[in-house]
Amino acid sequence: MHREKFIERVLLLLALSSVGSLALITIFIFLEGFPLILSVGLKDFILSSHWAPTKGHFGILAMIISSVLVTLGAMIIGVPLGLSCAIVLAEFSPKRLKMVLKPTLELLAGIPSVVYGFLGVIWLVPLIRNYLGGPGLSLLAGSIILGIMILPTVISISIDALTAVPDPYRDGSLALGATRWQTVSRVVLPAARSGIITAIILGMGRAIGETMAVIMVAGNALQIPTSILDPVRTLTSNIALELGYAAGRHREALFATGIVLFIIIMILNLSATLITRRR
Amino acid sequence: MTIFPAASDKGPPAPAPDIIVLRRLNLFYGTFQALQDIDVTFPRQAITALIGPSGCGKSTLLRTLNRMNDLIEGVRIEGEVLIDGQDIFGPDVVLTDLRKKVGMVFQRPNPFPLSIYDNVVYGPRLHGQPGKAELQEILERSLTAVEMWGEVKDRLKTSALSLTEEQQQRLCIARVLAVEPEILLMDEPCSALDPLATLRIEELMQELKRNYTIIIVTHNMQQAARASDLSGFMYLGELIEIGSTGDIFTRPKDSRTEDYITGKYG
Ligand SMILES: Nc1ncnc2c1ncn2[C@@H]1O[C@H](COP(=O)(O)OP(=O)(O)OP(=O)(O)O)[C@@H](O)[C@H]1O
Ligand SMILES: [Mg+2]
Repeated sequence: MHREKFIERVLLLLALSSVGSLALITIFIFLEGFPLILSVGLKDFILSSHWAPTKGHFGILAMIISSVLVTLGAMIIGVPLGLSCAIVLAEFSPKRLKMVLKPTLELLAGIPSVVYGFLGVIWLVPLIRNYLGGPGLSLLAGSIILGIMILPTVISISIDALTAVPDPYRDGSLALGATRWQTVSRVVLPAARSGIITAIILGMGRAIGETMAVIMVAGNALQIPTSILDPVRTLTSNIALELGYAAGRHREALFATGIVLFIIIMILNLSATLITRRR
Repeated sequence: MTIFPAASDKGPPAPAPDIIVLRRLNLFYGTFQALQDIDVTFPRQAITALIGPSGCGKSTLLRTLNRMNDLIEGVRIEGEVLIDGQDIFGPDVVLTDLRKKVGMVFQRPNPFPLSIYDNVVYGPRLHGQPGKAELQEILERSLTAVEMWGEVKDRLKTSALSLTEEQQQRLCIARVLAVEPEILLMDEPCSALDPLATLRIEELMQELKRNYTIIIVTHNMQQAARASDLSGFMYLGELIEIGSTGDIFTRPKDSRTEDYITGKYG
């Protein structure tokens, strides 16, 4: 009995400490970054694209736009690909194939992002440079690499959502004379809608937060891009690239950038949770 | 347009009285034989009940008639199933057309998680591009046939899942009627319903019988006795006997039938 109580206490302590450290990190980021937002003003911080931190200019608009565009591009590439892959695996493949391929795909999520970035630099960037022009290191390269990186998330959660649709719906549809594809598009997909939206939102969170691969392939130029072949610098890239030498207000500005990212990702995750719960 | 010559007072040939003919039907799930040498005919515009202990193959037989068994891996079927004289396993059978003609109502109501409206027009939309007016007409006709039109006509856009189980089952029947089938297969359609709702569905079946051929699987002896014209008793994959419901329940020929209807198998 004593022993059991003891184990319970220890587990509780561990749980609390992990939640606690998350809370501490959050507080730390806000403490470090918030004063800068206050002194610069929220408007000048996120609506100006003049970033010259050593000269006292802290506008992150170009990076926000770049982050949004790279993520958008990643979604345009990754969502249709991932969703069709999930549909084929969940609805049109033998169970055994699904049981082999799904874990394999999930394994892809475990590949370090530097590897994706490396492959991007070696294969993708020269391809873009030679066939489409520009420096190769670009918004497009970042989007493609991120689009591939979010595939495991999108596919795996979408498959779960499709599998959770009860078979009687499929039977009812097929028994009315629907084809398999009609059944999927008219009954199964609508029924799995909230799960699929969750998959997309979590994929989006992953894309916005990804750093290493983007630094390697996106070119990191501080500008608002005018073409998909322009190099861009995202919020995460900027933090990673500058944190090493930043000091004082500059360092605070990077933490403030972290706050912006934090809030974006919180909103994404929260909406994913809300959508899943509404089911 | 065809004009029949006045001399012919016979009109077009009457359709054969039996709409479904099974000849030496054997069905295997892998190596397990679930149906054995079934030879039977089902008459038009009558209600035939299939009874028998759990696992005797009633659902399997039903699912053979609209080829829903095709979805199960490892199913092998031998023998013939003729519907309106056509072999449903023949090479020129279009599966979706067969299933349109042979509608199915399931054990548990399974309306789609869509609106009432979208549930009913689901089938017609699969098989053509009906206009709004046509859909409205189908909707009203189908829901009226299951005596639901009055109840739901003001909330067609609400989710079908908000209906009671009985209403859901009626909706599922309406959904099938909307594609104008000839045959209705019903696999224990009342097992999720309370006794009153069950009676009302049985009344509905009597109405539907005028236009449709109905085959119903049931575990409920009273239901078979009350609601059917013919009853067939199945046991371990065989169709032991089939005859008018009165005969089966009062003077069964086979002792196993008698044991079953007197409750010896439970
Ligand atoms: N997909 C399947 N794979 C293998 N065997 C099956 C499958 N479906 C049914 N069977 C077997 O076939 C036999 C007949 O099953 P079926 O579902 O037709 O019985 P039933 O008469 O409808 O029973 P119940 O009254 O319980 O619904 C049973 O022994 C069952 O275990
Ligand atoms: Mg059954």
